[in-house]
Amino acid sequence: MTATPIHEPTGVIHDIGYRHYDGRRLGRGSAVAALTLHSLRGVFGLGRPARSKIMPFGLLVVMLLPAVVTVAIMMLVKQQGMGYPGFTATMQTVLAIFLATQAPYLVAPDLRFRVLPLYLSRPVTVLDYVGAKLAAMTLAMLVLMVLPLTVMFLGELLADLPGPGHTGEFFAALATSVLYAVMLACVGTAIASFTPRRGLGVAAVIAFYLLTSAISGVIYGVLASLSRDGAAEWAMLINPFFAVDAVQVWLFDTPPGNGVGYPDGLGGPIALLGVLALIALAVLALIMRYRKAASS
Amino acid sequence: MNPVVAGISYRAVLGRRRVWLLILLPLVLIGLSALLLAFGSADERSAVLLMEKFAIGTMLPLLGLIVGTGVIAPEIDDGTIIHLLSKPISRPVIAQTKFLVAASLLILFAAVPTFVAAYLLVSGESGIAFGFAVGSLAGGVAYAALFLLLGVFTKHAVAIGLVYALIWESVVGGFVPGARDFSIQQWAQSIADQISVSSYQTSTVALGFAIPALIIVTLGAVVWSGQRLRSFSLTGDE
Repeated sequence: MTATPIHEPTGVIHDIGYRHYDGRRLGRGSAVAALTLHSLRGVFGLGRPARSKIMPFGLLVVMLLPAVVTVAIMMLVKQQGMGYPGFTATMQTVLAIFLATQAPYLVAPDLRFRVLPLYLSRPVTVLDYVGAKLAAMTLAMLVLMVLPLTVMFLGELLADLPGPGHTGEFFAALATSVLYAVMLACVGTAIASFTPRRGLGVAAVIAFYLLTSAISGVIYGVLASLSRDGAAEWAMLINPFFAVDAVQVWLFDTPPGNGVGYPDGLGGPIALLGVLALIALAVLALIMRYRKAASS
Repeated sequence: MNPVVAGISYRAVLGRRRVWLLILLPLVLIGLSALLLAFGSADERSAVLLMEKFAIGTMLPLLGLIVGTGVIAPEIDDGTIIHLLSKPISRPVIAQTKFLVAASLLILFAAVPTFVAAYLLVSGESGIAFGFAVGSLAGGVAYAALFLLLGVFTKHAVAIGLVYALIWESVVGGFVPGARDFSIQQWAQSIADQISVSSYQTSTVALGFAIPALIIVTLGAVVWSGQRLRSFSLTGDE
């Protein structure tokens, strides 16, 4: 029986060429900007399969159609077509469908595949993540609203219509677009973030729009048939699109986009307060949702 | 009809967050009719308005979308449908079972609340409550079949169904009368109009077209979903 020989250690560490990154680190701001840009591209299906591009670009084309028709009317008949202030409220169904189909894309996959901790292992914080997603959705909604308005305005400038221009109305509509975009993006993203399933997210967001617009429509119809017009106008404000339109009417004195008008006096300020409260509630819900998702 | 498949489908729709949306919509309908009662406008005209605009025009397509795609789309999304398809159960039977589950849920969450809401407002007057309940039932069954078919065909079923219900049925149907002939919502309205005798109600599609169309769409969609499942291939998504 011999003593076991003492072996020299045979393990070696091979240098297989892994290198440290020693370039400049761009930091948190850049990471958030990159996430925002990536999300914005994703909303329009860029960098995703061709099938994902059909819906966003199709809806963008639908938004542009009335603008193109309006430009054609201005060029050929020399008459003002569709006005700027009421454009967004008129196209609300298309905007709601865009929001419902694209907002879940922004938030659902990350929740479903539980990759949030991967984002948060970088300098990005929960607030940065939420902010980037909201910024992307807001920018996307802005593109959808501002592009047709600008096309119409350029058309009006080129057509050189008789009578006074509508530059003031155009800029009022642009300013209101920002409020529309922020409200829609916050509400849509907040509702979509509550389910990791894209299909259910789509249904939930559109349910919010359909419920508010149908409730507002039914109450308006009943009150108007009782000829309580003052109360009926208040019912209009339940629809979030008309609430923002009422703010526009109050701030810029534009013609109402719903065809019947909004309550005078307190109507505008209360609509603005309601919209701001809705935005605050949505952002709060989003932050709470992601605080919880990040810790699980 | 396979009871195990039915049980799985019921659990998939009712066991998750989906059910809250299913409860919320009928609650809003009944809440609205209570509100109209409080306004003191519980007459035939507001009842018909509420039923046409909300019960059939908004709630029914939405519930159809949530339930019809909900019985199959999540399983396809997760890939767990493979376990179901690999069992010795005929694929058409799976499709039929899922359709029956969706249809029964739509009766529970759409047709029954529609009846309750209309009955609250006008009780049995002019057959409004009964008419809209039957219309909503027929429309709900057709929506269940159509959206089940969509769910089998594409992963973007909810988005496409939404475009059908909102753009085709509501916007295009509002401007182009011919489009109303191909709208489940309008067929449901026709049936409701036929049963109720209220003078406030109008429907544009003839009953002789609506009933065969409903039957053909429902049966066709269920059979086609079954055939499609027989040669189903699970593909990745993004």
